[in-house]
This record gives sequence, C-alpha cells and structure tokens, in this order.
Amino acid sequence: MHLPDLPLQVFTRGLAEAGALAVVEHRPRQQVLAASPAARACGVEPGMRVVGALAVAPGLVLRDRDVAAERALLAVLANCAGCFSPALSLDPPDCVMLEVGTCLRLFGGLAGLIERLADALAAQGLDVRLAAAPTPLAASWLALARPGRRIEAKPGWTEVLNDLPIELIARGGQVSKDNLTLLRGIGADRVGAIARLPRDALARREAVAVSAVLARARGEIPDPRPWYQAPPTHASRLLLPAPVDATEPLLFACRRLFAGLAAWLTVRLAAIDRCQVFLEHEDRPDTLIEIVTGEPGRCEARLGMLLREHLNRLELPAPVEALRLHADCPVFQPARSQDLFGDPHAARDGALRLVDRLCARLGNDAVFGLRLQDGHRPETAWSAMRPGHRPASGVQAAPGQRPLWLLDEPRPLAAIDELRLLSGPERIESGWWDGHDIRRDYFVARGPDDALWWIFRALDEPGGWYVHGYFG
Amino acid sequence: MSARATTLPAELLASGLIWQADRLASPAWPGWPTGFPVLDAELPGGGWPRDAIIELISDRPGIGELQLMLPMLRSSPPARWAAWVAPPFLPYAPALAASGFDLGRLLLIRPHDHARSIWATRQALNSGACHAVALWSRNIDASALRRLQLAAEASATPLFLYRPNAAARSPSPAALRLQLLARPDGLGVVILKRKGPVTHTLLRLALPSRLRRSPAHDALDSLAPARPAAAGIHPGPR
Repeated sequence: MHLPDLPLQVFTRGLAEAGALAVVEHRPRQQVLAASPAARACGVEPGMRVVGALAVAPGLVLRDRDVAAERALLAVLANCAGCFSPALSLDPPDCVMLEVGTCLRLFGGLAGLIERLADALAAQGLDVRLAAAPTPLAASWLALARPGRRIEAKPGWTEVLNDLPIELIARGGQVSKDNLTLLRGIGADRVGAIARLPRDALARREAVAVSAVLARARGEIPDPRPWYQAPPTHASRLLLPAPVDATEPLLFACRRLFAGLAAWLTVRLAAIDRCQVFLEHEDRPDTLIEIVTGEPGRCEARLGMLLREHLNRLELPAPVEALRLHADCPVFQPARSQDLFGDPHAARDGALRLVDRLCARLGNDAVFGLRLQDGHRPETAWSAMRPGHRPASGVQAAPGQRPLWLLDEPRPLAAIDELRLLSGPERIESGWWDGHDIRRDYFVARGPDDALWWIFRALDEPGGWYVHGYFG
Repeated sequence: MSARATTLPAELLASGLIWQADRLASPAWPGWPTGFPVLDAELPGGGWPRDAIIELISDRPGIGELQLMLPMLRSSPPARWAAWVAPPFLPYAPALAASGFDLGRLLLIRPHDHARSIWATRQALNSGACHAVALWSRNIDASALRRLQLAAEASATPLFLYRPNAAARSPSPAALRLQLLARPDGLGVVILKRKGPVTHTLLRLALPSRLRRSPAHDALDSLAPARPAAAGIHPGPR
C-alpha cells in the first residue's frame, strides 16, 4: 500500500474538500513539493519555485512540510490495515506492507479483501494505491509504478517485474546512487536489464547489492521484515488547513481521529472508556474535552455522538487550528464472536448508550442510580452512584417502616394536631462522629387528606416537628 | 337498541370482527399485569398498555402512587432500565429495596428545567432500553404530550405520567387516565379514560405495606353516576 503525495495528504485528510493547497520544503531550496488537484489545475507543479507558484495561482495556500505528521499518518494507515491482518510491516517513507496469504479465505479471496480494505481506508480519508504480489518488495514496486495490479504466485510471474523503471531498486537505501548512475550509464533503464548482467562484473564494481535486490524481489532469497507493533498509547493529531470555529467541520475532522482510534483498539484487542480531545488554538492554551463513556468500548459512533453533545455545550474561545486525540490505559477486551441469532449484548449496549447520551447533555450530576449504604440516619442510608452498577449486598434492612419518598431537607411542621400518629416512636440517634448527629423520634402519621407521612420530633434544641418523607 | 345483545350468533361475536360498545378493547398484545387483580379486570388487555401514555392524576404525594407502579417494575427483564424523570422528591433506596425492587435497574434523571425533562423522557423512550419510564410534570402542553405519545408507540415502552388534579379537566391523547384518591385503607382509583366503556366505579386497591386498622379485602364501591344510565346500555365489568 502506497500513500501518494504523503506530505499533501497530511493536510487534506481533515477536509471534505481541499482547495488550492501546496506543500513547501525549504531544502535544498524553496520549492513546491506537492500540490493538490485544484492547485495543479491552476498550473502549479511539484518542483516549481515558490515565487513562480504564487505568480501562477495567487490564491494558493502554502504549508510547510511536517515530517512528524507524515510518520504519524503512516502509523494510522498501519493501524487501519492491522484490522485485516496481524502481519504488518512499515516501509518508510510512505509504504505499508500487509501479509494477507493467511487471511484470504476469511475475506473471500483477494478481490473481496481489497474491496473491504479500500472502504476502510476511504472512511479514514486516506488516498492509497494498492498492489499485490507474492513477495513484499515486488508488491511495493508495483504499488509505486503500477497501482492496482495484482499478481498471483504462478510460475513465470516475475516477468511482470522486468518492465518496471530502474529507479525503484534505489528505494530502501541498499543500492547507492553511484550504482544507479552506473546502471543508467550502461543503458539499463528497466529492471529486467539487471538480470542479464554478470554477477562477478557487478561485484568488481561494488554493485552486488543490485542483483541481491532483484533476487529478493523475485523470491529467490528470503526477505525478512520486522513486524509492526502498535504502541501502547494512542496519540494522533490532525492539522486543519484553515482555522475553524464551526461545529460541523470539527466533527468531520474528529470522525477521522476516532476511526483511527477504533483501528488502533482493534489491532491491540483493547477497549477504552475515556479519551481526551485537545482543540489547539493559536495564541491560547489548548481546550480540553474529556469524553467518558460508561463502559469500555471501541465504537467510534458512540464517541462521535458524545463529542457532538460536548461541542454543543462548549463555547470556543478562538478558532481551532489543529485537533489532538489522546487515549491511554486501554483495557484488554477480545472481540466477541458473532452470534447467529442476533447479538445478546446489544440490549446492554443500548442501555449504556442511553446513559452516556443523557450524561453528555444534562451533566453527570443529573443522572444517577441509587444504592444502599450502612447507616442509621435516613440521609446516610443511601447514596448516589453511576447507574447500573450492582453494589455488594449485605446492608442490613432498617427495622421500621421506611417511606418511598424522602424530602431533600426536612420541612418544619407548624402543628401536629391534624395528624393522627399511627406508629412509632422509632428513636434514631446517631452520627456523633462526623458532626451531623441527630436525635429524633420518628412516627408514621396520617395527614388530614389521608396521605401517610413520615414525621419526626427533633429532641435536640430547638426541637420541633418535621416532615421527612411520604409513603408513596 | 335492545338490551339483549345475544341476538347475534356466538361465533360472530367471538371472531372479533364486531365490537360492541360495552366491551373493552382487546389490544394486539396483552398488557403488563398491574399486580392488582381488581384493576387488571377493568383494563383493556388485562393490564398496563405496552405502548401508550398512562396518566396518573393525583394532587398530593404519599397516597400510594408509587406502589401502584412498583409491581410492574419488579417484573422487568434484566438489562432494562426503569427510568424516573424529574421526581418531585428523592426516591428512598432502603424502602425501594425492601419492596423487592432491584436498585441496579433504577435510572434517576433530574434535569434542571422542564424542556430538558421532556427531551430526556423522549430519549429514554426512543432508546428502547427501558422497561418503563415515569415522568412527573406539573404543566405539560399538548404538543409535548403528542410527541411523547408517538415515542411510546414507536418503541413499545409505557410512560407513566404523573400530573396534578388540574390536568383532569383538560383533554389528553393518553390511552389510559386514572385518578388517584387517598383512602384510609389503600388507594382509590377512578378510571377517567380507557379504551372501552365509561365507568365510574371507584376501585379500592389494597397496598401491602400500608398500615391498616382492620384487615381489608378488595371491594367494589359504587359511586352514584353523574347522570342516569341510558336505557339499554349498562356498563359492565369484563
């Protein structure tokens, strides 16, 4: 898999539609390195001087080359491809090699695999050229020179390689520039010409590496590659070509970041329950949005929905220049095998998604569940908790009757003449250790309207009768 | 019209193609059992409707309005919430646990304003993850009621809507409206609206955990009807 124009893709990934954009490098001289299709239509070509490019397209947006972002994008591509096969290897600066021989059956053949891979890459916003061949080196050469070509391992497949331009063997650094000049000087401009050169003659000119490279591409000698390992934490950054302060473009860009996060989680067989999104501004410190989901999961749609709720509530202090996503402490969660008759976990996921949605819009303190606590005082016999968790049982039940409704603060009663005391008194005297000690006699009383109230008489100063609950 | 409805052949009546005005509607699904046989007998489908708003009108707390809902909530399947939106007071956990309710399924939502309560109720209904939703609202307008009705129908989740007494006079799209009255030995229920014939009987429901002076049994207590019944049509319990 080859990412063409990688310096340019770093910037255009975050946009639905890139305008006239060109990437500039400053060494060896200030020239245009890559240009977007809109810029090319104006006449800007890679290799032009910057002054010339601006003369041709006055509305051109220029960005400096960002090498770290290019490496990060390659890692994103690796994560995305890692969802399909675990055998992955990077070929810097802009290629990734995926070993698929063992998973072809799962995806229904090479054509099915390439289609699904193309869909996944499009969802990430990456423009990738694919090619398939029996050896990794041949596959990378084909991706660079003949994208879309797929070669099966039939006898005689190496004939295809003979037609490729000779500059390809210089990738990887094993063949030096002098060797390349030598080969061009003797008139070998296709790869096939190297095969006919005598080995000892090449050795005398210190160009043995050339034939070694060709042998590896043909599969005659093995070509071991280091496997790619996904990093333990995930941090990705997306540069926006122009400062943005509307919600929709931010959500669109974040969708790419979340897709990358989901791919990294799949490769690591993990799930997370919190992540941080940083909105970078030009002159101010970054704005942090912390997204917390109830249960660890990898669903990017859920994260996107929660981010939408957070952004709707947030006031942006300044336009956003770049987005950063950070996630650490993943939890190991192997994938569930598919059930033939529907997912039994779908009901539970729907329930948790509802809680996340409510918390994101109403705030965390407006949504809660109840749990029992050990305590004689009515206020301490319960506490709020995250809904749905089942706490350990073993709390003793109260001896007397308890009402279904409890008032937040006991309401003083003017007089108790209209009330008929039905049961009681139940003396509750407790809490001297934290300063909220109470000494109360609780009664169940019937009010004048036949409702049942839970009232108490406070025995400390100043005393008096209070209503504390209703038997709903 | 003759008072004797038996002139029609029995198989025609039993086929369900003819509905007579003194019969309760039979909905597509049976209702959730309310836990009170006296009330089940008066409701179409033999229980709470599965996809409608159930209005419970009462003016004061403490008469047993929560206990009316609890038997149905106790029987909810696992991994389904019982969502309570904007309750007027705090539901007390020890009492709920003592009545057999599973606290791990309770989802309490206390938004800051009324519009958010309506939004939260709609989200809970639309998610399909709730066994039942209860909303306490002092003044709710007709368009919000209509939206909640559509949400309840779409996801087949019952919504228990607690409203004050003043709401009994205004029309509502709810399929079932019950007026709750305080009674010394239980809860009195008058059915204001149902899919069936009009009835004015006061149903007396025995609440298990309330103190009673004398052991009471379920009894039907007829109030005088507002106007004399038209000749030939007698509302009868089914």
